[in-house]
Amino acid sequence: MSPIDLAFFVLAAVAVLAGWRVFATDSMVRASFLLLVSFIAVAGIMLLLAAPYIGVATIFMMAVEMMVMALFMVAFMMNPAGLNPMMMVHQDRLAKVAGLAAFVALTAAVILTDLPDRAVSADASVIHDLGIELLGPSMLPFESAGVTLLAAMIAAVVLSARSGRFGPSDEGSRPPGLVPGGDPAGRIPDDERSDKTESGHHDEHES
Amino acid sequence: MIAIAAVFLLLLFGASFIAVTERLAHGGWRHAFASPLGEAARLIAQQATRTERPDGVNWLIAPIGYLMVATAGLSVVPFAPGVAVANLDAGIVLWGSCEALTIVLVFLHGWSANSLLPLIGGYRYVAVALPAMLISMFVLIGAALPARSLSVAAMVAAQEPIWNVVRQPLGLPLFLLLGLTIGLRGPFDYADGADLATGTSAEVSGRARLGWRVARLAMTTAFAAMAATAFLGGYLGPWRPGPVWLIIKTALVLVLMVILGRNLARMPAPWMLSLIWTLLLPLSFLDLVIAGVVALS
Repeated sequence: MSPIDLAFFVLAAVAVLAGWRVFATDSMVRASFLLLVSFIAVAGIMLLLAAPYIGVATIFMMAVEMMVMALFMVAFMMNPAGLNPMMMVHQDRLAKVAGLAAFVALTAAVILTDLPDRAVSADASVIHDLGIELLGPSMLPFESAGVTLLAAMIAAVVLSARSGRFGPSDEGSRPPGLVPGGDPAGRIPDDERSDKTESGHHDEHES
Repeated sequence: MIAIAAVFLLLLFGASFIAVTERLAHGGWRHAFASPLGEAARLIAQQATRTERPDGVNWLIAPIGYLMVATAGLSVVPFAPGVAVANLDAGIVLWGSCEALTIVLVFLHGWSANSLLPLIGGYRYVAVALPAMLISMFVLIGAALPARSLSVAAMVAAQEPIWNVVRQPLGLPLFLLLGLTIGLRGPFDYADGADLATGTSAEVSGRARLGWRVARLAMTTAFAAMAATAFLGGYLGPWRPGPVWLIIKTALVLVLMVILGRNLARMPAPWMLSLIWTLLLPLSFLDLVIAGVVALS
């Protein structure tokens, strides 16, 4: 077994084990970063396949993506800080069947496809060729669309933020109750506060 | 082999250089050289504290990973023509993934302590560091444009006629912002800031704290070497010994970072986010436009 074969088997084992632990851990943050470990191992295999850009870019993109994902999962799941243990799997049986079906289908695709075995010469400019293959002559429209979308996203946040141009974004909004028709969970809207002194102070402040 | 040794020597030099420079800037002329060592000895002997139910594995991984990522980032920097540990075609992207992993590791350092102030530091840091990293990638793409390559060696070679700091004047200042962020320095230190009682390191003591501080110095050094390479011509200089030039330029960037870290004002995180998204990010696009126009003409 050559060192490259050995590296492949180690990286593949890390990818599979970390992928399994994603579903066995009890924390959203740990699950995100175990997935990151799995992706980094796959990126290592890409590097072994002489695809340097795809390998390194996978690490880069996945590190950012998993960080953002962990943050948003915690933000949306009402689990302050993400430190409380929680069950990471739902619909156990369906998930197992779907996972197994996907595994069988992908394995069949890999085995049945006539994969190319042309060796790439060591001095081939793979990154340049990949860029041409992906974008070709549409680089300028693609980049313009990207910058436009980014500007639109920033503008949307600037306009709608609580500190934004048109006043607090949550003005008049009412968080849902913990029981139907019950008291709002979390922040109570200013105009519904029973505490007279505080609302009086608030009105004074506004006038 | 020489390149590997050079990476570790540069890390050692840079880390001790900042430690001493910072104390000199603080006015402590008498003990500037001995006091970093004394501080290290004190931390080695210090008792290690533990919080209630921390995530022990991630708490241990964070400082080690931070140091490893700094070393990996420095491995793409060429010390002389052809002398680099990883002479990758996608070298600048590898540096970018080191930046991204740094954010993950600093967050984990704060998260795994299972304590309030470190946790706030971790979350706050991610919010500021992600857009700062975005800006750094745009200015690095600008710096790579004249070379028409993502390889760091080609970026240096393309600066032979004129350094990037001259033809892309916005690049280095914007990139320095990232350096202060990923090295956790001064006003951009939203993770370990004094306003959070040292944030993610608030519950860390003893050797773990020493490791974290060494890793921060190492990351700052790796960043300075990368800044010197991408914008100040790296090993290029009027006469031959290339590595000497790289070390001098790295030291200059480090001095600049110590000065900036001590003199810029600290802002509340929301202000900093507004500044980054609405002013500095458009400036980085302007830098990219300038780089593109100069490269075409």
